[in-house]
Amino acid sequence: MAHLKAALSRTLQLALVLWAVVTILFLMFRLMPGNPMAAYIDPTFTAEQQEALMAQFGLDKPLWEQYVIYLGNLLQGELGQSFRYREPVAERILALLPNTLILTFTSLIIAYAFGILAGAYLAWRRGSAVEKVAIPIVLTTRAMPEFWLGMVLLAIFSFWLGWFPAGGTRSAGSDYGGFWGLYTSPDFLAYLALPALTLAIYSQGLPLLLMRSNMLDVMKEDFVTMARIKGLSTWTVVVRHAARNALLPVMTSFAIAVGYQLQGNVVVETVFSWPGLGRELVRAVSASDYPLAQGAFLLIAVVVILMNLIADLLYSLLDPRVSHA
Amino acid sequence: MTEPLLSVRNLKVSYAVGGGSVDAVDGASFDVPRGSILGLVGESGCGKTTVARAITRVIADNARITGGEMIFEGTDIAAIPERQMNALRWRDIAFIPQSAMNSLDPVYTVESQLHEVLRRRGGMDRRAAQARAEELFEMVGIEKSRLRDYPHQFSGGMRQRVAIALALALNPKLVIADEPVTALDVIVQRQILDQLRELQAMLGISVILVTHDISVVAYVCDRTVVMYAGRIAEEGPMEAVLTRPMHPYTMGLRNAFPDLKGAASGTLTPIEGAPPNLASPPPGCRFAPRCPFALEVCTRAQPPLRELASGHRVACHRADEAPVLRELAVRTETWLVPA
Repeated sequence: MAHLKAALSRTLQLALVLWAVVTILFLMFRLMPGNPMAAYIDPTFTAEQQEALMAQFGLDKPLWEQYVIYLGNLLQGELGQSFRYREPVAERILALLPNTLILTFTSLIIAYAFGILAGAYLAWRRGSAVEKVAIPIVLTTRAMPEFWLGMVLLAIFSFWLGWFPAGGTRSAGSDYGGFWGLYTSPDFLAYLALPALTLAIYSQGLPLLLMRSNMLDVMKEDFVTMARIKGLSTWTVVVRHAARNALLPVMTSFAIAVGYQLQGNVVVETVFSWPGLGRELVRAVSASDYPLAQGAFLLIAVVVILMNLIADLLYSLLDPRVSHA
Repeated sequence: MTEPLLSVRNLKVSYAVGGGSVDAVDGASFDVPRGSILGLVGESGCGKTTVARAITRVIADNARITGGEMIFEGTDIAAIPERQMNALRWRDIAFIPQSAMNSLDPVYTVESQLHEVLRRRGGMDRRAAQARAEELFEMVGIEKSRLRDYPHQFSGGMRQRVAIALALALNPKLVIADEPVTALDVIVQRQILDQLRELQAMLGISVILVTHDISVVAYVCDRTVVMYAGRIAEEGPMEAVLTRPMHPYTMGLRNAFPDLKGAASGTLTPIEGAPPNLASPPPGCRFAPRCPFALEVCTRAQPPLRELASGHRVACHRADEAPVLRELAVRTETWLVPA
């Protein structure tokens, strides 16, 4: 009962946040200077033709009416027509979303798996020579801008060594058939390697340092000392008790990092010509393709909001003090 | 008299603190007889918890056992390799911590924490571990339906019972209880102590009960070791130590605590001052600076631990005058004047 109530109130909060995002997006694009139709309307059109087009897009109506229509369309999943591609925005961005999600999750899972293990190890080996070398390296990789890191990796592994392709997602004419076919094909993985590695290196610092500092705190807890007094093996003490407890905030940060990563994707997708949502967003903004940009922003916001919800749910799943209150 | 279960001889434990080292335990010797409760009493920082933890050899990172022996069933556990020591932990020597809240892992049910020791340390299979877990809960008086609960779902007293159940899981010979009732209210304190006493007698195990509270000692202990500033001030049968104390510190402690049984007799008198800084302890008797009966010799020479009655040992230069000092010590004004 309490669970249901909590879930309901959480959903309501999400709906409110989503509405706020939608409204801000609506206003943002209408308050931007310049005629939104500039990219669509040829200057040679007559004034009548231009007005007819404005009317066709509903841009002659007062702002509040446009807002109501916009909300109504959104509820039906209608995001409008792209100015540039002359096709529905929803179709376009939903086609690109998988590319972005694959890149994001692959890189984050690598970053978190590495970060959690390395962070736990470094905490356990506190004060050792390994730690003295590792921490500065981690801090350095964390400080590197991802576009720069991407270009360095491209220069080394693609242009110089020629191990990986420089951009795109697949070789010309290749067809994988289905998600698993795609994800297990060496061709696709070769394209995925460098952008995913770039993002993984860029992202591993947060989980690593977070895990390490949590571990250091948890290892001072009485229950860890008790585990040692119980004569349990070092592995049990470090992994089953210390790491398991230190993991809680790290898992939450994973969900939040997904949202954060979408922003990082904008840069990396551009560097590696990865046909994802981020690259499309940059193009849409520079081409004044407002409906497409708006749709892409909206989709990113939805993913971020969803991941926050997942973070909450994950926490209550992993921490009995929340789920069994 | 049979051989004691554990004989601690001249134990020294020091902490590395800011370049130097501090001897938190400086030559402690005492015996833990079989089938009895030994109270290890003293104020904060006297080294009693350090002694308790030293017996498990799980001590703070900056602490080290620098000398002495701990003869447990004929083996010096201070000298055996870590691997061998680890085999003894929990199977032979178990521990009840002060704060059962922080000493239970919050993310596992108490059942899973019982299973952990029963299976990983006791070598039981799942079914046997479950039966034993239920039996243990029955022993400490908790409904077995609560096995599936998480530590935070228990009250303080219940958690302490869980800690006792955990400690008894593998039928240890020695249970070290470090301030097991300090965080609880007086009513619950009594219940837990009654239970500890009952289980100890039923199972015939030995218990070292570490406490700062002399009324807890009076309530459950058979023997008492009084520690002061890393050394043993007095040791003997509980009855004798508390009714005929021979060390002025024990006399002072007795004045400073109410009776757990509820008999409020007279006013409470604190011992003025604080224990010495162990980085630079006073040269003679460490209690001398706070002792109302200190003589010149007390500030010069360390008093040896002498046996003055059967099994009753004391480290005081004026122990022979104990009956006279006891008369003086019950008077509040004796303690009001700083020596």
